[in-house]
Amino acid sequence: MPGTLEALLRFLRSAGFRFAVRFALIFIGATAVFALVFWYATAGSLDRQTDAALRTDALSLVERWREAGSAAVAEAIGERLASDVEGNSIYLLINPEGRRLAGNLDRWPQGVPAGTDWAFDTVQRDGLTTEARLNVMELGNGYRLAVGRDVTEKQRLRDLLAEGIAWSAFAALIFAVTGAAVLRRALEQRLLPAAQTAEAIASGDLSHRVPLSPRNDEFDRLGQSMNAMLDRIDRLMEGIRGVSDSIAHDLRTPIARARAKLEEAVVGPDDPETLRAAMERGITDLDNITRVFEALLRIAEAEAGSRRAAFAPIDLAPVLADVAEFYGVVAESRGQSLETDLPAALETVGDRDLLAQAAGNLIDNALKFAPEGGRVRLTARALPRERIEIAVEDSGPGLAPEDRARAGTRFFRADSSRATPGSGLGLSLVQAVARLHGGDLVLEDAPEELGGTPGLRATIRIGPA
Amino acid sequence: MLGTPAALGGVEPPARVTSDSKEYCTELAVRLAALPGSREEPARSLAADGIHLCETGHTRTGVAKLRRAIRAARGGD
Repeated sequence: MPGTLEALLRFLRSAGFRFAVRFALIFIGATAVFALVFWYATAGSLDRQTDAALRTDALSLVERWREAGSAAVAEAIGERLASDVEGNSIYLLINPEGRRLAGNLDRWPQGVPAGTDWAFDTVQRDGLTTEARLNVMELGNGYRLAVGRDVTEKQRLRDLLAEGIAWSAFAALIFAVTGAAVLRRALEQRLLPAAQTAEAIASGDLSHRVPLSPRNDEFDRLGQSMNAMLDRIDRLMEGIRGVSDSIAHDLRTPIARARAKLEEAVVGPDDPETLRAAMERGITDLDNITRVFEALLRIAEAEAGSRRAAFAPIDLAPVLADVAEFYGVVAESRGQSLETDLPAALETVGDRDLLAQAAGNLIDNALKFAPEGGRVRLTARALPRERIEIAVEDSGPGLAPEDRARAGTRFFRADSSRATPGSGLGLSLVQAVARLHGGDLVLEDAPEELGGTPGLRATIRIGPA
Repeated sequence: MLGTPAALGGVEPPARVTSDSKEYCTELAVRLAALPGSREEPARSLAADGIHLCETGHTRTGVAKLRRAIRAARGGD
């Protein structure tokens, strides 16, 4: 029994039931308005016509009274009654003493309260009680006039109309309830696939998708949105899994190396100098691991967009010049040349530190892959619509087109660069910083003039999208 | 003496329509006879039918016939 009650409550609370109730109420409301208009145009119209005729007749008799007195009104009433073929007319003229002077009522109708002009009253006719509509006029000096019509036939018509409307209302109610049930059922059926998919996802099966119908209606669009959302979640989870695997894999080697060196120092000679050197190497290895984690945190921070709140107007030209100056020394020590082509000013809005680090990462990458005596070029320029382009070109071996799409992935390292030191996080950070600033990282072959084989040109465009 | 609404109260039977009576048939016949066209057709035969119906107890129908006769005599029917 509690189960039945719970099911009933769930049914009453369901959106389908609410929609169905709304539909039924609107349908019944529309039917009621239709019935009111119909009634006003039929029975109401008949009533208004009767009242208008009575009023005209009564006013005409009042006019007669003013012109020729009570005898003329009595004669007019007699004439009117004599030519009333339908036999519906009712007249009564009484004097101040209450005596009947003319008309076809034996006495003043009792259902007409004093001081009122209009009334419905019952009169006796051939021993039967019938309904009459009356207009009462005070003629002056105590004389009173009642002009009326036997409205039994009209009342019968009103009853018929009322009965018809009642049956129509009943039919409308049946239609409303049936329509509401059909609507509720249809809603339930259309939402069922989405609900089943959501339940399957909730139970851990992420492979489920909402089946779509060829109708391409609102529910299909909801299903498409849900499927797109699930695809995105799937990709993100895959990415998280990939990053976890990469962290475990890429950090195991340096940690194992540090451990091996420390172990070697423990079992080796007790020479203080050797021990000190082993400890320093261990600290260096651990610093490298810390740097990887810092880089990962920075990338996560940039991707989350939390640093956007710290965006400020900056001139990128001196920032890039400082970075170029720092790496110029590194290039020189390797016998490479770092050329710059920077404008006098490069105004934008962004995070100064992140942009400097992104430019530094690009130059560092280029210097690592450019051969001894090779060339690296840093250029920057303003683009239309307040956008800025920063490009770093090198004369290194370049990057295979199939690797370019994955170059922004964390810990990605091309096969050809396995021997080069690095964590595989540099370009990930550059890409995250570019996206944080409304842009992206583009990798392509460097211009031939740089003499690369073929060389790499890494470009980031930032600014309002 | 006819009662006013205040004097009558709610216990008396409703007012009665007097134009469905034999007396009214007679009144109509007298009114018709005074009209110049009462001896012409169809007023004459309608009046005869009406009077006959009134006399045989079909007052309401007789009154209606007499009324049509009056209309015809007035040249309105």
